[in-house]
Amino acid sequence: MEISETTEGTKTVAVLDGRLDTATAAQTETALIGLLAKGGVIADLANVRYVSSAGLRVLLKAAKQAKTAGSTFAVVGLQAPVREVFEISGFDKIIPAFATRAEAAAA
Amino acid sequence: MARPAFHRRLPATLESVEELAVALEAYAEEAEIDMAVAARLGLVVEEIAANVAMHAAGATYFTLDITPSDDALELLLTDDGPAYNPLAREEVDTETALEERDVGGLGVHLVRKMTRDARYERQDGTNRLSCSLPLGS
Repeated sequence: MEISETTEGTKTVAVLDGRLDTATAAQTETALIGLLAKGGVIADLANVRYVSSAGLRVLLKAAKQAKTAGSTFAVVGLQAPVREVFEISGFDKIIPAFATRAEAAAA
Repeated sequence: MARPAFHRRLPATLESVEELAVALEAYAEEAEIDMAVAARLGLVVEEIAANVAMHAAGATYFTLDITPSDDALELLLTDDGPAYNPLAREEVDTETALEERDVGGLGVHLVRKMTRDARYERQDGTNRLSCSLPLGS
């Protein structure tokens, strides 16, 4: 998993590139939790074509952490298979998803 | 043209789970499996195999067999770990609010929702999990 960092408005954008699965979950969790210490985070998943339950757990932890800190966590650019996994898991109801970074930053 | 079958027997480690993911991508291409179905195949196998690799202390190997039928891929995963039925887990409540949402059980939930006829058997000292992955999207 390649993770790079940029900003959109007042929020940090974590640009993820690769598979978010058992092998990459721990590394991704550390990165997202670290970024959340600075404020709102948008995870850009446009280059993530695969998310397993290990990946879902990471996103859930990040969303909970944001809530606890009174901050925000959102995802953008979900590919079709990833969107399907989100919907089956009910994550579409608990993690805000947007089409673009700009929309996520404005929310 | 009939779709090819698939068989692998690997050590029960996380490295094997990754190796399997790569092998399945090649298989999906060779067998001309629809992208949406290929994504589900990779996911279902990872969920079950990762569970064995991480939690089944004592498992030395796992196997995956894929046998294509007319409208589905019949999957069989076995391992030699202690008896464990992942399907016995309680259903995940996908309506729970963020604060109360538990992080466990999601893998089995995905397997249940994406496949049909998921079944567990303990036979001759091995765990056998079979299910059917529909080919239509």
